[in-house]
Amino acid sequence: MPDQTHRTDCTSAMKELWDYVDCELTPDRMAAVKRHLTECSHCLPHAEFAERFLHALHETRIDCNCPYEVRAKVMARLREAGLTLS
Amino acid sequence: MDENQARPGAPDPSREGEGARVRRDAEFARDALPYMDDVYRFAYSLTRNTADAEDLVQETFLRAYKSWHTFQPGSDARRWLFTICRNAFLRSREKLRHEVDVEDGSAETIAAVQSQSEMRRDGSDEILSRVDLAPALTRALDELPEPFRSTVILVDVEDQSYDSASEVLGVPVGTVRSRLFRGRRQLQDKLREYARDAGFASAGTSAREHDDA
Repeated sequence: MPDQTHRTDCTSAMKELWDYVDCELTPDRMAAVKRHLTECSHCLPHAEFAERFLHALHETRIDCNCPYEVRAKVMARLREAGLTLS
Repeated sequence: MDENQARPGAPDPSREGEGARVRRDAEFARDALPYMDDVYRFAYSLTRNTADAEDLVQETFLRAYKSWHTFQPGSDARRWLFTICRNAFLRSREKLRHEVDVEDGSAETIAAVQSQSEMRRDGSDEILSRVDLAPALTRALDELPEPFRSTVILVDVEDQSYDSASEVLGVPVGTVRSRLFRGRRQLQDKLREYARDAGFASAGTSAREHDDA
C-alpha cells in the first residue's frame, strides 16, 4: 500500500534524522533520507528545524586564539620540562 | 590512543641520545604546538573561565610533551590533544567519568522529533531564526551535565565526527550518539523556556491537541 510505504519511509527518516544532519549515515542512506525529505512535507520541517538548531549551536563557537601570554607560559613550562626548541 | 599508552616499539625517552631528543622535540613542535589555539578554544569551552582554560592548556601540552613518544606518527594530533585536554579537565574537577548506558537510539530520536514538533506548534522554533541565540545557548551548554556537554561541544561546536568524539571521550560511538541526542534535547528544552520568556511561544498550546504526526 502506498500509504504504508510512505509511513515506513517517514519512520525511518525520522529515526535517522540526526544522523542525517550530522552526515553520519552511509552514502546510500544519506541519499535515501534526502530523497524522502525532498518529497515529504511532514518530515522536511523536522530536518529544517534540526539544521537551524545545529547552526545556532555552532554559532556558540568562540572565535579566539590562545593569548600570547598563555602561549609564552606554555612554552616556558615546556622548556622547563626539557623542550629544546628556542 | 591514551596519552599514557606507549606505542609498540616506541623509544624510551629516558634512554634516547641527544640527536633523537632533538628530533622528537622538532616533531612535537611541528605536529602538536600548532594546535595551541584549538586546544585553548576547547579548554575554554569546557571551563568557561580564562584562568582555568589557561591552566588546562598548560597541563595538556605538558602531558602531551611528556607522552609524545606514545603518539602514533601520522595520526590525528589535534584529536589526541583534545583527549588529553578533556581527561585533564575531568581530573581537575575531580569528577569521575561515569558512563551513560547506551539506550535505544531509535526511541531517543523519535522523542527528539516529538520535542521539535511541540516547538514548531507553539511557535517557539521561531526564535531560531529571529534572535541571536549564542549567549542563551552558551549558558544552556554551561548547565549541561558532563558528559553531555563535552559530547555536544566536540560534535556540534568543534565539528568532530562521531568516531572522533568516540576516541576523545573514550566511549563507543553508540554512547556518543546517545549523549548527543540527550544533550541536544536538554538544550532544546532550555531553548523552549527561553522562547517562552521572550514571548515567542503561544501560551497554552498543547502539542497533543494538534498532533499531526
